[in-house]
Amino acid sequence: MNDGWNIVVCVKQVPDADDVTIDPDTGTLNRSGAPAVLNRPDHNAVESALALRESVGGTVTAITMGPPPAKAVLQTAVGVGADGGVLLTDRAFGGSDTWPTSLALARAAAELDADVVICGEESTDSSTGQVPPGIAAHNGWSQLTYVESLDPQPEDGVLVGKRDVEGGYERVAAELPVVVAMEFGANRPRPAGLHRKIFAETEFEPVEWSASDLGIEDRVGLANSPTKVGGMDTATPVERERIRVESVDELYEYIAEVR
Amino acid sequence: MTIETDDYRDVWVFVEQHDGTAAPVSWELLAKGRELADETDESLVALVMGDDVSDLAEEAVARGADRALLADDAVFEPYRADPYGEQFRALVEARKPSIVLIGGTHTGRDFAGRVAVPAHAGLTADCTELAVDDEGLLLASRPTFGGDAMATIKCPAHRPQMATVRAGVFDTSEPTESDVERAAAVEEVEVVVAEEDALSTVLERVVSDVVDITDADVVVAGGAGCEGEVGPIVELAEVLGGEVAASRAAVDEGWIEPARQVGQTGKTVRPHLYIAAGISGAVQHLEGMNDSDVVVAVNTDPNAAIFEHADYGIVGDLHEVLPKLTELVREQQEVAA
Ligand SMILES: Cc1cc2nc3c(=O)[nH]c(=O)nc-3n(C[C@H](O)[C@H](O)[C@H](O)COP(=O)(O)OP(=O)(O)OC[C@H]3O[C@@H](n4cnc5c(N)ncnc54)[C@H](O)[C@@H]3O)c2cc1C
Repeated sequence: MNDGWNIVVCVKQVPDADDVTIDPDTGTLNRSGAPAVLNRPDHNAVESALALRESVGGTVTAITMGPPPAKAVLQTAVGVGADGGVLLTDRAFGGSDTWPTSLALARAAAELDADVVICGEESTDSSTGQVPPGIAAHNGWSQLTYVESLDPQPEDGVLVGKRDVEGGYERVAAELPVVVAMEFGANRPRPAGLHRKIFAETEFEPVEWSASDLGIEDRVGLANSPTKVGGMDTATPVERERIRVESVDELYEYIAEVR
Repeated sequence: MTIETDDYRDVWVFVEQHDGTAAPVSWELLAKGRELADETDESLVALVMGDDVSDLAEEAVARGADRALLADDAVFEPYRADPYGEQFRALVEARKPSIVLIGGTHTGRDFAGRVAVPAHAGLTADCTELAVDDEGLLLASRPTFGGDAMATIKCPAHRPQMATVRAGVFDTSEPTESDVERAAAVEEVEVVVAEEDALSTVLERVVSDVVDITDADVVVAGGAGCEGEVGPIVELAEVLGGEVAASRAAVDEGWIEPARQVGQTGKTVRPHLYIAAGISGAVQHLEGMNDSDVVVAVNTDPNAAIFEHADYGIVGDLHEVLPKLTELVREQQEVAA
């Protein structure tokens, strides 16, 4: 293959985890004060996408689903080197759980004629890790999750991934098209280049697709989400003694007591 | 799409195994599944997939399953997402279970979606509590926003109600005395996947015996503060008769093996004593250690978050504090001997 691979990287805008608080009276999440950022594990996904393009050629297209301000995470991806970005935005997507979300991303990836779709391990706000396998399942594509490193073999049309598994690792060759979930921390994301960053913030405009552009307007949103949040409780905080000890001898006394 | 939820019944538990050895979470889920099935007055069904694993199907029955379904074929070893997902999906569609529980391991989280997506089933990730309500609806609860809140997820209009469940949160089931009828409760099912349809090939698999830190009474965990030197952690764990564990930072650096990681993407531990050395106390780490009875923190930074979540804290360098502590424990043990 001379013309390289169509590489799609899925990114998500999330509230900065450190700034989300819980209203003790209502038990609801207060995200309003939290600045929105690119989901941390997605930085690893973007880096892998760019490294993959360097080794096999082709293009990197970032996609995200969210309200119009989510464009910011596409700018982040373009700033570090993605060739373009697609924003899936539509009121019809509102309230989607992982089933419709992965459907929308799967349709967009198919529309982009993706060879490889790269995602982060999970999102820091909902942390299900279900979207990457969901995209693969919707499209009937192969998948590689918990990936530490990628070894493309374009002559055989496969992508080999080294996966983290319980007690060790495995190397798996997956047929294209393939959906990859990179492990958080798997690589060191490169910084944005200055000129690219300026371009991303001033000139770059994402392509926008609605649910009907993807032909899924009656398959997304709250109504098509099998899971419903039945309740949110502030977790009963574990009461700790919080005793500061001054010396190791003192610490030992406490430990000897509890053992 | 509306479905007739009444057509669906029984609680299924996926018995995860690798090379013929069951993952401990499988038996934890079987014990929890037993409780749920008793409450809904349904059967508990174990699903075993692998190559030459009929003994595991029998063991599942000995550990409390009413029946075991066995898909036995070389295509299932080693694990791959697409054959597992496809076989499981076919069984779910044909037999319509109401609840399906899968371990929240890398394996379970890898393929659960390949069943839930085509079945349009509700799938809740990484649960730490399971119950059923008056109508028999599964209440799957999971920590969210770094453990500050518990979200309870329901799946009122879709079936099956699927959940991946974190290892270490439920007690395991024990096998009962040999039951002669055991084998009769195992049903071998038709294998609907074939090697030539597989989308992936496992080229290499390197695994060692996986330690199980979830059962330890004492856990000594090291973080980025170890700076590559884990000796003090290992020695203290040794004299206390406990297990070594780690934060993700120490695992990512390769100082401590991944099977020992505690936290959101690691294990949940429930020891009597948890010593966190050189660990800052990130929410993702706290999630895995919150069930410990007593937490001790050793950290050079007096403002580290971990002190807020510890019973006893000492501001100090772990490379000094831990060896001294080890020494004191040793002395005491010599006096006692
Ligand atoms: C999706 C996702 C999933 C994650 N899952 C997990 C998970 O399962 N488990 C997990 O642990 N993390 C997880 N994390 C990472 C988590 O956010 C933190 O980055 C991680 O826990 C930090 O590890 P640490 O406390 O060892 O390192 P740091 O945060 O770097 O803290 C090191 C601490 O050591 C102290 N220190 C330094 N030198 C010494 C010394 N000589 N003696 C004593 N103290 C010293 C410092 O003061 C500091 O407090 C996850 C993150 C994401 C985004």
